[in-house]
Amino acid sequence: MPYPKQQTDELKGYCKRVSLLPEGGIEYLHLEELRLPAGCMPATCDALLCPVAKDGYPSRLYFSVQVSGQFARNWNGAVRIGEKNWYAFSWKVDLASPTLAQLLVAHLNGFAKEK
Amino acid sequence: MSLENPEQQGSESVGAIPGALGTAADVDITGMAERGQEVPHGHAFLVPIDCERVRVDTQHPKGEVLLGKVHKRPCSFELIAEFVHCENRVIEPDETVDLRQRGLKSFITAHKEIVTIFIGGPEHPYHIERGERTVAQILAKVDKTPEGYVLLEEKDGPPLPLPPNIPVKISGCEMFYTQPQSGGSS
Repeated sequence: MPYPKQQTDELKGYCKRVSLLPEGGIEYLHLEELRLPAGCMPATCDALLCPVAKDGYPSRLYFSVQVSGQFARNWNGAVRIGEKNWYAFSWKVDLASPTLAQLLVAHLNGFAKEK
Repeated sequence: MSLENPEQQGSESVGAIPGALGTAADVDITGMAERGQEVPHGHAFLVPIDCERVRVDTQHPKGEVLLGKVHKRPCSFELIAEFVHCENRVIEPDETVDLRQRGLKSFITAHKEIVTIFIGGPEHPYHIERGERTVAQILAKVDKTPEGYVLLEEKDGPPLPLPPNIPVKISGCEMFYTQPQSGGSS
């Protein structure tokens, strides 16, 4: 497993189940029923955390649906991974050496920050 | 590959016995003060708190312990002792109460107006007025602003970011964390 167990264990608090989804040379973290910040609709959805560079971003968080939140987001990523469609909005996280949970929270903060 | 999520289980012991009579050795203080009776010595006492009667294993419990018997915490509730012939008195969380003191009738709890929240862990308490507060008001407690920091709340799970434009309901005992703003729309 490429990710430290302590870090993947930490992710388990945010969702119902965590599993690895390897595809195209990337080990995605599949987060089932991920809890989303207050004000999001739906309140939970499946997500894929890509902790490595992809599509010109240092990391990405893909959602199973286009989530509506407090602020309008630029949904510029639509990909098919693991035989399912996934969506991502334009959000660049610039943390230096974050843990997986810190990275996840930084991406979720995209729903809680205006710009 | 599955990374199974173990079920979380609460393990806090409870002391409330609503309507229970306890054991024969327990001293039930209910009604004794009103009848002018002296509360006898005992190893355990049945004590009226709000609408419950709880079992207390010592004659000298602290206020926080009595609150805990009715599943309440001093960060949001206060404990008040009721006496037969004198005024009610607020019992501080770390104050020791003598359950055999003359005139002690019962206890009630009341929601505090100024409650305690925690920012950055349980070792960092802050006082704030109960009700709806803004993210900026909460961040100001730790000299931070929404421009530089995200406020996260730990509620039914790990901390999640709070949108700065939605009021935060404060009842007391909420646990918050802060994190530097680290992302942006590209």
